[in-house]
Amino acid sequence: MGRESTMQPNYTILAYVTMKKGRILTSSCLTLLAESKNTAKQMTVDIAKALKADVVQLTNGDYMIIRI
Amino acid sequence: MEDGQLSFDNLSIIVTAIIIGTLARIWLLKEDYRQYPSYPNGYLIHVVTGFVAAALGAVAIPALISKNFVAVTFLTLALQQFRDVRKMEKESLNDLEETEYTYRGTAYVDGIAKTFEARNYIAFITALSVSLTITVMPFSFWIDIAIGILVGMLILLFLKNFTKGKRIGDIAQVEAGKIEVKDSSLFVDGIFVSNLLGTDNASKLVQDEGLAVVISPNEDHYRINLDNFGQRQAALFEATRALGNKRYHFTRKDYEKGRVVIALVPIKQDIDALIEVVKKCPLLESAKKSHRVMKTNWRGE
Repeated sequence: MGRESTMQPNYTILAYVTMKKGRILTSSCLTLLAESKNTAKQMTVDIAKALKADVVQLTNGDYMIIRI
Repeated sequence: MEDGQLSFDNLSIIVTAIIIGTLARIWLLKEDYRQYPSYPNGYLIHVVTGFVAAALGAVAIPALISKNFVAVTFLTLALQQFRDVRKMEKESLNDLEETEYTYRGTAYVDGIAKTFEARNYIAFITALSVSLTITVMPFSFWIDIAIGILVGMLILLFLKNFTKGKRIGDIAQVEAGKIEVKDSSLFVDGIFVSNLLGTDNASKLVQDEGLAVVISPNEDHYRINLDNFGQRQAALFEATRALGNKRYHFTRKDYEKGRVVIALVPIKQDIDALIEVVKKCPLLESAKKSHRVMKTNWRGE
């Protein structure tokens, strides 16, 4: 559930799945490079299932796996 | 109280007051099933603490009359005991936070704990008033007892209505909302709720099985209550508790019109029950800021 900006954020970014290498700059979380859109989607679903986490698809097509 | 023995009259006063005070607590306990975690054990704990509260109220007047002023200091024990009830309730509910579908939230837990404390005061005051009435009435013994019981019941009724809080349904309209999933974002009646639906499964699940309600405040200043994070969390908790939660639960407020959305994928598909439970969610004391809302309804309507 989303919290207000005034509240203590209570989420963790577990993984980031992208298809463009240039977007991987630095990260404290697992960042994965996928070859295609389908691979990215499949990787995201697999990781999210394993970690019981939620998935956000960014408008640029990348996936962020987060836990709230 | 002669020769250290309790007289029949005093004993009758105390016993009557204890019975009425304990019954008062039992009567109020029946309304708590919605908020209470474990019925049989919870009932027993609160009936016993209610009995102790009633006993403290019942013996205060006979103790005063027998000039046993020192004994009256045990009233401080009552205060301590009631505070402990609140503390116990708070700890118990906080311990359960991690195991529920969603958090009650500290504001809701605090409100429930205060209610439990207040109900012990009600048992105490009811017993005290019964005891006082029987003592001061000049009629025959059994008439005094009858009047005492009557006064106790009136006091109980008054206190029950006095402490009765308002509900979301009293200050807002609660209606079913239309769920739409666009890309990976969830919208309810056009209000953005969340973009956590990043997978096809998530989108499909919410689209097919999601239920949502939109809470619209009757007046603009009621937004102060409804926008309160604790209040929305309480409503969400009641919704997930009543219908179960298969996956996903969200609340979101619409800044423009002050509407609040509650959306979830419930186990039990019953939109009417969802509307009802959100309407009946208590308005938290900690969220009350408007004088109009703060105003107590003496008739308990």
